[in-house]
Amino acid sequence: MIELREVSKLFGREHAVDGISLTVASGELCVLVGTSGCGKSTTLRMINRLIEHSAGQILIDGQQIRSFNGQVLRRRMGYAIQSTGLFPHWSVARNIGLVPRLLKWTPARIEERVTELMELLGLEPATFADKMPAQLSGGQAQRVGVARALAADPDILLMDEPFGALDPITRETLQDELLRLQSRLRKTIVFVTHDMDEALKLADRIVVMNQGRIVQQGTPQTLLHEPADEFVESLLGGADRGLKQAGLTRVATLMQPLDPAQAKAKADLPTVGVDDSLRLALSLMLWHRCESLMVTSEDGQPVGTLAFHDLLRTAP
Amino acid sequence: MKRQAGVMRIGVSSLWAWWVPLAWLVALLAMIQIMPDGEDIFRQIAPDNRSVIYRRDDFLTLVANHMAIVGVASLVAITAGVGAAVVVTRSWGRDFLPLVAQLASMGQTFPPVAVLALSVPMLGFGTEPTIMALVLYGLLPIVRNTLVGLQGIDADVLEAARGMGMSAIQILWQVELPLAFKVIVAGIRTSVTINIATAAIGSTIGAKTLGDPIIAGIINGNTAYILQGAILIALLALCVDSSFERFSRLL
Repeated sequence: MIELREVSKLFGREHAVDGISLTVASGELCVLVGTSGCGKSTTLRMINRLIEHSAGQILIDGQQIRSFNGQVLRRRMGYAIQSTGLFPHWSVARNIGLVPRLLKWTPARIEERVTELMELLGLEPATFADKMPAQLSGGQAQRVGVARALAADPDILLMDEPFGALDPITRETLQDELLRLQSRLRKTIVFVTHDMDEALKLADRIVVMNQGRIVQQGTPQTLLHEPADEFVESLLGGADRGLKQAGLTRVATLMQPLDPAQAKAKADLPTVGVDDSLRLALSLMLWHRCESLMVTSEDGQPVGTLAFHDLLRTAP
Repeated sequence: MKRQAGVMRIGVSSLWAWWVPLAWLVALLAMIQIMPDGEDIFRQIAPDNRSVIYRRDDFLTLVANHMAIVGVASLVAITAGVGAAVVVTRSWGRDFLPLVAQLASMGQTFPPVAVLALSVPMLGFGTEPTIMALVLYGLLPIVRNTLVGLQGIDADVLEAARGMGMSAIQILWQVELPLAFKVIVAGIRTSVTINIATAAIGSTIGAKTLGDPIIAGIINGNTAYILQGAILIALLALCVDSSFERFSRLL
């Protein structure tokens, strides 16, 4: 668990961060969102003491971070940044094994862990272990960056716009992978981004920051339904909010169970997956110019229908 | 069996890659060996002189001495130059960055002869003042290249290194110096090559170098002596410079 109590950071006389209080529960994925210069990166870097806070308290599992040696503290936390910061003179495997080596694990244990992580992140060990960072694509390099951050199995993961420099398709893939990893690993993650869509997609809780202060925090749904002020509203994309909210809701929540008697008649409807978003369902309706869709389960079996007027109901 | 064959192949090919420096080395050793017997040839160059082969010391001794002086001076210059550049790129030493950069430039604007003249009263005649002049003269390329190499490292790499929990010493040895190594070696190459040529001036204040035949030749108007010293200095410089060139390609 990470706790920030009235934390401030002054650069000269400027308040980069101004008295913020924030608690990130264990296993929670907390996303800090805001425009550039709002203090979100500074907040992140104060947690692993790359920047020392000027006032207030930061606690990890109830202990003041100042009571730890900075290096010891940082080895306990994963850290991934936008440009990856991979060491260009080290192979992929050596880059991933960095923190375990700092913690003086045995070479056999490091090798085993590196292989495990490469498999976890979809990097074929035989192909990638000996490659140099310059030989990787942006998405692969970022996977290596995330693997390196996870290497010593830290409880806490700090991510500073890790997917910011990637093309939209790769970014989306990596976001999905992060969610998949998180559902397995249940790390405490603090994730910084300026991209509200990314925040809505990933976050258990979103913290909106502006000019060094927290403007609003809450679940993606709370933010969409009750934005605290115009700033949050503009970050959410104003009139696009309806679509964003539809993007967060699963088809399963609004579909009608399939009436076996009608199954045949509706067999030629376009299909949508039960775990897809309402946004995708709406897009399919617009594309196919139809008012209802067949909903299929993961194995392709029809399980229900979704009509256009279903979308207008509020999710239960 | 297979693996051995691989090692053999690498061994042969890398030896082959060193043929240029090896050729210069062979030429240098050959010259040391045959020049004392080349009286007929050098007689043509300096027909009016009584002696046409420099014999006060044998050439091998001069080459060895010359190399030793340059070697010691370079080791001192590398230690001091890389050390100073590392210090002024630390957060606590940053204030001294302009000072060190300027001092190193000044070291090279001083003519080496002037450094010799100034250091004789302090260190006397002979080898020591020569080494001091060479150290001062060789510092600039090393300091400058080390600074460029260290400052050229991607800030995000250093940020990540710190973020992973590496100590300042670990970052320096495992990240900064390896990444800057190629540029640093290029600076050392320039420094050593310049100093092989400059060391000859040490002969004016009594250091035993390949400058001896040149100085003696100038004093006595003996072109053959000058040529003998010059040939050996040139071959030595080519040999060392091409070795560096090969070495930096391995990096």
